[in-house]
Amino acid sequence: MSTALAPSFALPAAPGLLTQLHRCLTADYQKLRRTVALWLAVGGGALPVLLNFCIFYSKGQYIIKPGQNPWPQYVSMSWQTSSILLLPLFMVLLTGLLTNVEHRASGWKHVHALPVGRWAVYSSKLLILLQLTLLAETLYVVLLLGAGGLLGWLRPGLGFQANHPDLLPVATMLGHTFIATLGMLGVQYVAALWWRGMVGPLGLGIAGIVTGLTLLRWEHIDLIPYAATTRVLGALGGKGTLTVNPHMMPAEWYSLAWFAGSLLLGYWLLRMRRAD
Amino acid sequence: MTTTPLLLETQGLHFRFGKRAILQDINLQVAPGSIYGFLGPNGAGKSTTMRLLLGLLRPAAGRIQLFGHDLAQHRVALLSRVGALIENPSLYDHLTGRENVDVTRRLHGVSPARTAEVLEIVGLTNSANRPAKEYSLGMRQRLGLALALLPDPDLLLLDEPTNGLDPNGIMEMRGLLQRLRQEHGKTILLSSHLISEIEKVATHVGVIQQGRLVFQGRLPELQQLHAGRAQVMLETASADTCRNLLPHLLGGAMLTGASTLQLPFTSQNQVATLAEALVAAGQPIYSLRAEQPSLEDTFLHLTETSAAL
Repeated sequence: MSTALAPSFALPAAPGLLTQLHRCLTADYQKLRRTVALWLAVGGGALPVLLNFCIFYSKGQYIIKPGQNPWPQYVSMSWQTSSILLLPLFMVLLTGLLTNVEHRASGWKHVHALPVGRWAVYSSKLLILLQLTLLAETLYVVLLLGAGGLLGWLRPGLGFQANHPDLLPVATMLGHTFIATLGMLGVQYVAALWWRGMVGPLGLGIAGIVTGLTLLRWEHIDLIPYAATTRVLGALGGKGTLTVNPHMMPAEWYSLAWFAGSLLLGYWLLRMRRAD
Repeated sequence: MTTTPLLLETQGLHFRFGKRAILQDINLQVAPGSIYGFLGPNGAGKSTTMRLLLGLLRPAAGRIQLFGHDLAQHRVALLSRVGALIENPSLYDHLTGRENVDVTRRLHGVSPARTAEVLEIVGLTNSANRPAKEYSLGMRQRLGLALALLPDPDLLLLDEPTNGLDPNGIMEMRGLLQRLRQEHGKTILLSSHLISEIEKVATHVGVIQQGRLVFQGRLPELQQLHAGRAQVMLETASADTCRNLLPHLLGGAMLTGASTLQLPFTSQNQVATLAEALVAAGQPIYSLRAEQPSLEDTFLHLTETSAAL
């Protein structure tokens, strides 16, 4: 403790912007410990992989023609299983759970009374969300390819071991899907900050997902961020070999627009709203 | 109130919630090295003021200066010298006590060794590895204080810090605050709705009522105000008869019962003269005493008659 009895009236130096962001990030990483949000990010990709694994293990012979490379079919089927419903649900839950760590602790009044700017607190959580999403989607791909390898060992008749998965299209598809999730991420993040609880953003998310699924045949469906991960499935092609169109699809552009628009709105709300 | 530069000062602070005025013209003056007791009943605007002092809320009008600098302009820089505990401490229940301190330590950017130091100061070293969700109310409050102490702040803003503490815990907290002021020169703004809590520790007092500051000054000044409110209590056979017989002495007395009278105390001579006059008039004196109202009564009086002040 200080032994100086007379406090100085000199203006202390404010930490630099990057220092503030770094401090927020390291604190947010520590807050993630033992949270459901972290477990969801680490384990969330396992469910679609497991479902697909069970289908191919038990019924693979009906899905794959003898002599055909099973990987394209396997990757496409699994990607569809995860993208249409599970990934949007995952995004809604992840954003809700991550911000709920702060809501539950009444943490906003504490964090905003510390020497870090509001923008740093806001950006740090956003970066954590982006990292967790990327982690979950990458882990999903690793698990998917690993489960395919396991199928080759357990069910040699399916031909997984005789062929190799084509990594470039898988990586391209991962890129499409990640961009497609950004719109949802932005909207849900701002909703979670606004409502300061789980119920509001969860309700909005479910309504969005249902709307996306219901309006899939609408000519302007690309506008709805919750349908973007389904819409980018259109980049997948090829029967015998896995091909993925590398060009950005309209749904991805709209997703990016939603992401940018939501974040700007969120930052504006953050500045205008009481911080406690 | 003081000629030395103020560590914390607000000028014409106003705050509204929608159209409702919550705070009106608050001019706080907190001198360096003082413990400023910020008193007021629940809902008077104490927590709102504390939130404004931390930049959590924006004032509708007025200025806040910390260490002589404008808070609105230098919020982040100034907050590095402030420790705060606002209402219930914000704790992450899934983390241990130590991890909770560490999270805030990282946000302050202070050395890792500080975590153990503040846990030691608040007496939580032995429970540091338990999850915060297992902490009692008092332990949570102490952990909240540990968070506030992390940056070795020159100014501590503590909103009802003894909430949930048992009498022993309250005494410990009082001792800790006095040590922080006397040995380390800290300035502490301490809010409470209990004057008994403030009078034992504060050097200065501000009383807020319905969003207005109705008293501000040194604790002895409040005590003086309270000394001026002493009353003479008389118990006799018939209060009414006494009043009629001695209108020059008891004309302003208040009948508090059939045989009791109460009047403002002015001097010891007043009591002696009254006793003589009563005996001369043949009235029995069962009891005659000067009664000091408690500081609690003075506080209540202040907050009830704020419009008159």
